[in-house]
Amino acid sequence: MSGSGPVVELRGLTKVYRGHLGIGRSLGLDGLDLSVEPGQVFGLLGPNGAGKTTTLKLILGLLRADRGEVRLFGRPASDAAVRARLGYLPENPYFYDYLTAEEFLDFYGRLQGIPRAERRARVQASLARVGLAERSSTALRKFSKGMVQRLGVAQAIQHDPELVILDEPMSGLDPIGRREVRDLILDLRRAGRTVFFSSHILQDAEMICDRVAILDHGRLRAAGRLGDLISTTVRWFEVALRGAVPAGPLQLLSSAGDEHLVRVPDVSALAELLETMRRTGGQVLSVWPRRDTLEDLFLREIAR
Amino acid sequence: MRRPRPLDAVVAIALNTFREAVRDRVLYLLVAFAVLVILSSRLLAMVTVGNEEKIVKDLGLSAISIFGVGIAVFVGVSLVFKEIERRTVYTLLAQPVQRWQFVLAKFAGLLAVLAVHVVLMYVTLAFALWMRGATASGLAPAVWLILVELAIVTAFALLFSTLTNPILAAVWTSAVYVSGHLSWSLRLLAERVPPGAGRWACEAGYWILPNLDRLDRKAEVVHGLDLPAGFIAWSTLYGACYVALVLALACLAFERREFR
Amino acid sequence: MRAPRWIAAGLLAAALGGASLSARVLERLTPARGRAEQLLYLPNGRHLRVLSLGHAPLLADLIYVWAIQYYSEYDTADRFRYVRHVFGDVIAELDPHYIDAYWLGAMILIIEARDLEGGLSLLDLGIERNPDQWILPYLAAWECQMASRPECAKRYFERAAAVPGAPPITRRMHAALLARTGALEEALRLWLAVLEDPASDDLSRAIAKRKVSEVRAKIDVSALRQAIETFRIDNGRAPHDLAELRRRGYIREVPTDPSGQPYAYDAATARVTSAAGRVLGEP
Repeated sequence: MSGSGPVVELRGLTKVYRGHLGIGRSLGLDGLDLSVEPGQVFGLLGPNGAGKTTTLKLILGLLRADRGEVRLFGRPASDAAVRARLGYLPENPYFYDYLTAEEFLDFYGRLQGIPRAERRARVQASLARVGLAERSSTALRKFSKGMVQRLGVAQAIQHDPELVILDEPMSGLDPIGRREVRDLILDLRRAGRTVFFSSHILQDAEMICDRVAILDHGRLRAAGRLGDLISTTVRWFEVALRGAVPAGPLQLLSSAGDEHLVRVPDVSALAELLETMRRTGGQVLSVWPRRDTLEDLFLREIAR
Repeated sequence: MRRPRPLDAVVAIALNTFREAVRDRVLYLLVAFAVLVILSSRLLAMVTVGNEEKIVKDLGLSAISIFGVGIAVFVGVSLVFKEIERRTVYTLLAQPVQRWQFVLAKFAGLLAVLAVHVVLMYVTLAFALWMRGATASGLAPAVWLILVELAIVTAFALLFSTLTNPILAAVWTSAVYVSGHLSWSLRLLAERVPPGAGRWACEAGYWILPNLDRLDRKAEVVHGLDLPAGFIAWSTLYGACYVALVLALACLAFERREFR
Repeated sequence: MRAPRWIAAGLLAAALGGASLSARVLERLTPARGRAEQLLYLPNGRHLRVLSLGHAPLLADLIYVWAIQYYSEYDTADRFRYVRHVFGDVIAELDPHYIDAYWLGAMILIIEARDLEGGLSLLDLGIERNPDQWILPYLAAWECQMASRPECAKRYFERAAAVPGAPPITRRMHAALLARTGALEEALRLWLAVLEDPASDDLSRAIAKRKVSEVRAKIDVSALRQAIETFRIDNGRAPHDLAELRRRGYIREVPTDPSGQPYAYDAATARVTSAAGRVLGEP
């Protein structure tokens, strides 16, 4: 296992989509530079149509780059052997109707090179891991969308790959499902694996990523450690209070009867407000510390 | 890390393809044929005078061929298309499997389905003939050549299905099938066209198109005539080489394909 | 990874070689199918029409073209067996108004297979289905004439001329045939009809005029000869001159030839001639 260089490295990656009969072109990706270090959880973010899926397909060899290069584990992406070290879950996966969960995982296990002796055990283990153990003999055509998604995850990790690539892994899942996927990704990181996923759900990304990259219209808008990108922002507080709104450095956000939600810019302004409320006998219902979320960063970058 | 042995991957995908086709509707075709052959056997006994055996043999052989071509065309063209349309091909190609292995495996799987179909139908025909005291053993050479013909048609079906949608692919494959059976007319045309580009084109067309009509020996086996020595062997070689060339084209086409 | 590339290329080259080699060997080995067998499988046109799904005339054309190719192969054994079937039952059933087919089939039968009856029966089929076509009976008449079957030819010429819109040539040919075979009165009638028909073109009219004179002269001469012969039988000698024939009642009056000249009678040889006849080529 080479642990030195980046697991995924993209340099100047460009993809142009040609229109029908050669008329019209649209830029899928424009000169993307990106690198993913081993053991990281990397989030590729952006609105729909930004080029996230294009990037993933270029990494996997489903598309050919017009310019630039893709290196996986230091080797060109066209090297088939490299794909033995990764697992992939596509967006909205759809699998063979006519197989059972077990047959399905066994089939992929064969393709992934898992020797027969271990295969059965691994299949059962991954089914259990994603919570489908009781459905191992059920035909896939009877699976719900969430179950299919979980089976897809099972297929992506059962051979214990060093790199796991997930395209919108949380899409279509209920909150429980989303939490399970988040936990799984964190487990993988704990085990020293690298996870590269794309999503347009920023809250999830915020919770688990080490690094993110934000794409829009095929271009990279922002990239770096999560802490770096959104830490240097002013924190503010939202305070819910009952009674008269005092004067001071605050901003009224909303009112309902005699209950108001106000925003104060920093800790000292907050202290001042609390003191004022105590003196005037008003009631402070709650205080929320807020910081810049990824969403704010996202909207700022996209608006530019 | 670990990689599957190439043969292992091909076998796995081929088996999967086989499983898919068999769990599909193909079996119903077999049942339909079996019923057809056995029924015709009994009905003819009531209706005709004379050599009903010949009619059963002719009907049987033609049905094996026609149903086989039907399966080759309609299952063959949907094979690759379904994978692409349902995006099951994405996860497949993300594995350490090369694209040409994928194509070869699909072909092997479909050929296995056709072989099973042909064998089962042959057994049914033999049974129907046995019920009237005749034997089907003499028909074996024609049945083998039918299988060779089916292999060629399947290879084309696979080639076209990597290139375009299933309807067009079915049309193209059927066109090749029909032309393959009429290629002798290109020969005749070549003799009548004045020497030059036209004649050259006819000759070229004749050699390039698969000569399927030559593989049709139903009349000979039904009448118990001998085939020339080595005919089966050379025909098999022709079929195998032709299939190899078409599959190479299919691999090439699939290699270059992008998945939007 | 260069090695597998070379292996793949080598395998493909081998496949190409194998395919070409085996194709050539099979060409030699394959027993040739009898060409006539192919014809046997051409079903009746009525059934083919059903199969053609509305494209019967096109199918007729295709079979026609194929038949031409087939029948130009002179070394095919027994190739005339199915001409009637191909052209009459197949092509003609698919497209009953395909005039060329009747004509070509008949030609093949008459000229190459020397089967006049067969050819005529094919033309009859065409005539029956296409009463508005003058060309078929005309061709039939022609062939009868070539085969020295004047009765047959006359019938067909009549038929051809009866078709509305038939060109004058049908009647001209008919008249010529009639004249040649001695039915001079009928010929005269026909020529007069051509002459008087307002639809006749100038050439036809000119020819008709000439022919009318010619035939009249012939009729006159023939009648005179007959009268002379009768006189000789009755009186044991030839008449002295034509006036004697009139006096004795063998002819009603002495005719003049169409140019107005009297007929010349040579008492020594008992022969009648006319100046006009000599000009028109009569002895």
